Amino acid sequence: MEKYDVAVIGGGSAGLAALKQLSNLGKQAILIEAGSKIGSKNLSGGILYSKKPKKGQVTNVEQVYENFLDDAPLERKITKYILHSTSKDKVYSMDLTAAHDYQANFGYSVLMNKLNSWFAKQAQESAEKLGGGIIPGVHVKSISWNEQTGTTIIQTDELDEFEVKAVIAADGVNSEIAEMVGARKKFTTEQLYQGVKVIVKLPEEIIDERFGISSDEGAAHLFAGDITLNHIGGGFLYTNRDTLSVGAVYHLDSLIRNPAEPYTLIDTLLKNPMVSEFIKDKVPIRPDIDKNLSQEEKLRIRFGVAKLIKTWYEIREANFSSSGRARLIESGKYKDAEEIQSTLLSIQETMSDKFGVTFGTDYLEDEYGAKLVPDGKRCRVKKPFFKNILFVGDAAGRGVFLGPRIEGINVGIDDGVRAANAVARALDKNDFSNSLGEFYSKSVEHSPYTVDMKQIDKDYLKIFLDAAKDVPTDIIGARYGTILKMMSSDTFRGIAVKFANIIGYDKLIPMIESEETYVKVPTILAEKLGKSISASYLPTIPPIADRIANLNYNDDNLAHIKVLNSSSEFMKKMVILCPSKCYSEEDGKVIIQHEGCIDCGTCSQETEWHHPRGEKGIHYKYG
Amino acid sequence: MVDLFKVMKALNNQINFFKLEVTPTLSDSLNIAVIIKLEPDFSEGNVSYNPDGTLNRAETKNTLGPHSGIAAHAAFFGRVMYDAKVFILTMGPPIADLALQQAQQISDAEELHLYSDRLFAGADTLGTAEVLRVGIEKIQQKMDIVFSGHRASDGETGQTGPQTAWKLGFTFLGNVISYSVDLETRTIRAKRLISLQGSPNVVEEVEAPLPVFISIDPTYKSNYNAVSQRLAFEKYQKEAIQRAQNFKDYLKVFNAKELGVDETLVGLPGSPTIVYKVERVPKSTATRRAEVIDGTDPEQIRKVVTKMKEALSAMVIK
Repeated sequence: MEKYDVAVIGGGSAGLAALKQLSNLGKQAILIEAGSKIGSKNLSGGILYSKKPKKGQVTNVEQVYENFLDDAPLERKITKYILHSTSKDKVYSMDLTAAHDYQANFGYSVLMNKLNSWFAKQAQESAEKLGGGIIPGVHVKSISWNEQTGTTIIQTDELDEFEVKAVIAADGVNSEIAEMVGARKKFTTEQLYQGVKVIVKLPEEIIDERFGISSDEGAAHLFAGDITLNHIGGGFLYTNRDTLSVGAVYHLDSLIRNPAEPYTLIDTLLKNPMVSEFIKDKVPIRPDIDKNLSQEEKLRIRFGVAKLIKTWYEIREANFSSSGRARLIESGKYKDAEEIQSTLLSIQETMSDKFGVTFGTDYLEDEYGAKLVPDGKRCRVKKPFFKNILFVGDAAGRGVFLGPRIEGINVGIDDGVRAANAVARALDKNDFSNSLGEFYSKSVEHSPYTVDMKQIDKDYLKIFLDAAKDVPTDIIGARYGTILKMMSSDTFRGIAVKFANIIGYDKLIPMIESEETYVKVPTILAEKLGKSISASYLPTIPPIADRIANLNYNDDNLAHIKVLNSSSEFMKKMVILCPSKCYSEEDGKVIIQHEGCIDCGTCSQETEWHHPRGEKGIHYKYG
Repeated sequence: MVDLFKVMKALNNQINFFKLEVTPTLSDSLNIAVIIKLEPDFSEGNVSYNPDGTLNRAETKNTLGPHSGIAAHAAFFGRVMYDAKVFILTMGPPIADLALQQAQQISDAEELHLYSDRLFAGADTLGTAEVLRVGIEKIQQKMDIVFSGHRASDGETGQTGPQTAWKLGFTFLGNVISYSVDLETRTIRAKRLISLQGSPNVVEEVEAPLPVFISIDPTYKSNYNAVSQRLAFEKYQKEAIQRAQNFKDYLKVFNAKELGVDETLVGLPGSPTIVYKVERVPKSTATRRAEVIDGTDPEQIRKVVTKMKEALSAMVIK
């Protein structure tokens, strides 16, 4: 049997950081990833932060990858952070940029597929030198221990079994490793958010102008109020370089109580006039083809139109970006920017004159995806290890969700580094007993991120309350009672926070994370103080079947999910809550068609749930 | 048969034993050559035909032949498993360097050889085999395995490989679906897929001393089952992509003179084949009637569903 020092399971940001850090420390490690390519199964909101906490230390992404800021495929540095409360066409906006900047070096919008591929390239180069590396397309099936040596034997669907001294499990929120070895139970619906995201295409310079940002800046907009359809959570819209990430994130228990289709939730957000005005663009409208024409003629027109529209989009996208124009000129196809512009106009003319294409206002969606997000306040794993296996990032239930403060990628990266440090130390001492896990556990417990998951930070709270200073106190007072009323007063805040921390975060959370906060208060705010926004068009939202058809899958004929009880209440709710509509009900029985599954894990609570085998399943383009 | 191999192997070992003093170690390295062909790209949208049904070569794009691609994959297996040095060879016009580049991207080849000369034009398989033989023998390192595709997609006679093997005097193994090499004993074990009309397929496992010439079966697939093999696979694949990006740095072009071929054995003079006549394959007459259904019309779809139901009910499911 082949032997290696360390195996990292899962090639997301956390796993890759662990591999890179181990390599930085001169330790040999291999990383196993189920997707056919690193990044293909990863999805995030997402903003990647670099933090400088007041107390304690974290390792940031730019410390793990030294050329990160010069070379990584980042979208935009977020410089504007705004929370909108909505009620029908009324919106009340609060600038929370100070909360976004709080203890932060920076926060970039990112697309996970591109970014993780870049991380992988760096980590692979370092790992290779030490006889390690990244192996994609491999799904771990089982884990056992050699009783004599204590080493771990890893069995996969694709490779011969092999042996390692330590494992870093970075296999995400639906960690099969954790379940397999019995390190933790599946997260419950109370501990999870379900996030659904669409990528909207929008040319770069239109984004700059519409969001009032320069080409190296970005904006983040958050939404609460009636767009939540009475669920706990909210919507977001982040600017990327030439796309927008629009998403809806809700507590899964809130969705179970009052089931709403994930696509209905995101559609509600897209239809809100504030959002629909952000995402709108000029789109070509295909002409109706004369039904009396011959079959061949109809096909000829259809292909002609399709080809022209594709070219039009390509040139237009380049035309609205300085780098795009430079690329076209460099390729030698165009003399200068003027020629690009005139070519675009002539294509447009051909489209309308020759084929009768018209142009209207709509939006263009390019990818639909969903994922479960661990709510660190409720599900951070207190003992993030089992024997010589260390759990990091989502697999250990670690995400920071504090009102508008949403962090996950940076937490996972920091965890990955902590786990790598612990393993490197164990390798030096040749000690893989429980002391490895205990050392890691202690390190994680002292992480400033863990502290944030445990107690209220009064300085952060002050920023939030300052931003809300225009909100009439009677709205807050009437809804939340004494403690929060005290918190909004400068004199009593310190005492109130102390008091609140004594009561305990656990008891306080349900009060803060309630329908009041996410739905009622924002709705009242919007009604009382909001401005009316008028929509200039109604977005044509693709039906879920089209969204799924647009995704890229490598079909596995073997089902990776098995329904355990086809008539349970939970499973019946999955018919509504599955983001890719894999479930349907026939004669009171719930049945699954796994082919369209996007591996989100929403249904995992009451199913026998596995990730698809290596290379199989969803392959995101953006992530 | 097996006994004969055993005897040969024993003999071989003995010879090695006696030779040991003179040649201290047999090299544990492996040299692999792949002969490939630039072919018309028959994939959709790239192929063009003349009105008489013959291929319009000027309009049709070219690419690495699909069977050549499989041979390159087999060579890459040797690269990954035995750290082999791979050479890609082809005879063709200057634009055939495209095929060499594509094959390099698959196989991580260290050298690309293009044999290109007007004298080579009009060659049949024998004339081509002669150029390839001289090319292979010209390489300073001794070849251990030479791979060729099963056949070309445009000529389809499947003779160039075996004829090159014959000219080289190498053991020929056809229809190989997998192989492994023992570097110590310098032998190869290969599985061959034997398909005979009217009887089920047979997989034959053979062992032969190197060097060998292998014509690769279309069903060949490389398997990398160990972690170390996958790591090597990732490493060499990355190297292959980088090399192919700068493929000109690895390319050597030889004309007839540089190669030193006997001009009477190559090109038209070296090709005894005479094409007597080319016939069009007659179109077979359809036995089923096709009906075009407009997918946008629900009424038509309903008709399809009804027909499918009828067909299903008529089927007897055992």
